[in-house]
Amino acid sequence: MTEIIHGRKIVGGKAKSEALVSSEPICFLGGVDVKTGKVTEVGHPLEGRSIAGKVLVFPTGKGSTGGSYLIYEAVYNGVGPVAMINREVEQVTAIGCIIAEIPTIDRPDIDPIEVIKDGDLVEVDADVGEIHIISRNRAQTGT
Amino acid sequence: MELTPEEEEMLAGKQGYPVQKAMEILVQLGEIYGAAKMIPVSNVHMPGSSVVVAGEAGTRLVEKMAEAKGAFKAFTTLNPAALDFSDWQEIGFSDATFNLQNRLTSAYHKMGAVPCHTCTPYLIGNCPRKGEHVAWGESSAIAFVNSVLGARTNREGGPSALAAALTGRVPAYGYHLEENRFGDVLVELITELHGVSDYGSLGYWVGKKIGDKVPVFTGIPVAVSLEELKSLSAALASSGSVALFHVVGVTPEAPSLEAAFGPRQPSTILKFGPAQMQESLSLLNKNQGQNVSFVAIGCPHASIRELEEISRLLIGKKISSEVDLWVTTSLAMKTLAERTGYAQIIEEAGGRIIIDTCPILAAMSEVLAMKAKGALATNSAKLAHYAPGQWRMPTYFGSLEQCLAAAMEGSFQ
Repeated sequence: MTEIIHGRKIVGGKAKSEALVSSEPICFLGGVDVKTGKVTEVGHPLEGRSIAGKVLVFPTGKGSTGGSYLIYEAVYNGVGPVAMINREVEQVTAIGCIIAEIPTIDRPDIDPIEVIKDGDLVEVDADVGEIHIISRNRAQTGT
Repeated sequence: MELTPEEEEMLAGKQGYPVQKAMEILVQLGEIYGAAKMIPVSNVHMPGSSVVVAGEAGTRLVEKMAEAKGAFKAFTTLNPAALDFSDWQEIGFSDATFNLQNRLTSAYHKMGAVPCHTCTPYLIGNCPRKGEHVAWGESSAIAFVNSVLGARTNREGGPSALAAALTGRVPAYGYHLEENRFGDVLVELITELHGVSDYGSLGYWVGKKIGDKVPVFTGIPVAVSLEELKSLSAALASSGSVALFHVVGVTPEAPSLEAAFGPRQPSTILKFGPAQMQESLSLLNKNQGQNVSFVAIGCPHASIRELEEISRLLIGKKISSEVDLWVTTSLAMKTLAERTGYAQIIEEAGGRIIIDTCPILAAMSEVLAMKAKGALATNSAKLAHYAPGQWRMPTYFGSLEQCLAAAMEGSFQ
């Protein structure tokens, strides 16, 4: 059964893909290689993983204000996420998503970092502020 | 959101495409954050001034605005570039980086920006007063301008700062509003700190604990230096996304503890003593005892006082032939360091004064081959935070004296 999370539209649009979930904030300068899409911050829970083509779920942005252009550049290079979900969007990420036209939702009614697991198939309809968990990643146990 | 007739005209395209596009971004942002109106800004400090950040995509966006006759309505200074414009070939930057950076800088310049390429615009003539509304990027400069100078800015990213410069407006939300500028967290300093690296350790530890909250510090002496506050600002904004802090008895919005918290109560009380200092140092030192091949001082850009201090420690000394020493600063400070003789002393010792750029925003992959044989040593918590992720370099973090000793000996003690 599809589970639905409701949130606030930051940037409109629709996307469907596998989720990549981080318990820690993300910094796009120094934290992500925008040529490959790989997370490079040492000790980050997503270190070595690629954000390319994913629905990226993380608490909020942090660090450098260069982040907005780097999100834009990652999308331009074809390695950006297809959608973003934050607990609370911070301005640098919001602007990156606006100019890169990445569907983005924040303030979900259920904590997305608890509920959405890595590899779940997720559909984001930011126009109406809905996140649909279509199917669970089979590799995980429980639920 | 309520717009003035002039702002409505901007949005309708009556002032041309760049202003219209810029106003669209600002209105969208204002709607996300529930802004009731726009407010005029007196100046802008532009992040996304390096092509390492703006890339080809960002450069094209800025060029498009310049080609469409975009003209900055606000006084605008530029953050560091990807290379040193005076010396880029000798340092080893590529023609490709120069060409792209030259396109980006020229486009900003054409629209009216001052191409000073520094992360410390407040040291070279962009120094807003208490209560001024500004639109600043560069996380370290944002924390400094909000906190130490008492001006008001949100954390502007490249495109929103560009939009603010083109329109002379920002949406009225966040740190532009008085009610959002009070403290959230009390941080009691219960140990003595000395020099920029100690203040970096403090900021790094606090930023990691509090994320984007507003910390209020007690126990920082009124004699704290501009350089120490610059370092504290940079560190708080690296491990967290702190944009505003108060220091009771020091910063303009914190004459007293009560004034700093206003109607709020501290949600958390943190104490920073010797144990927390140790914890911070262990987070910032990511190395396995490797030799040092690169020493970087001047993150954020060195002040004239720091250049004097560096020259005093290097007078009559020689740095190791196995080590590159970079002192990063602005053109204005370098010019002053040449007049005072500090620059000559640093260069005679084998160090290099680099302007317009910094290790975080430079195209470092092009010039790192020799430097990356060993480890980095720096007195900047911000740089120690970013270097291991950006270049996979082992990193030592310590005082200016320790870093310069490492430059002479090739190993960090």
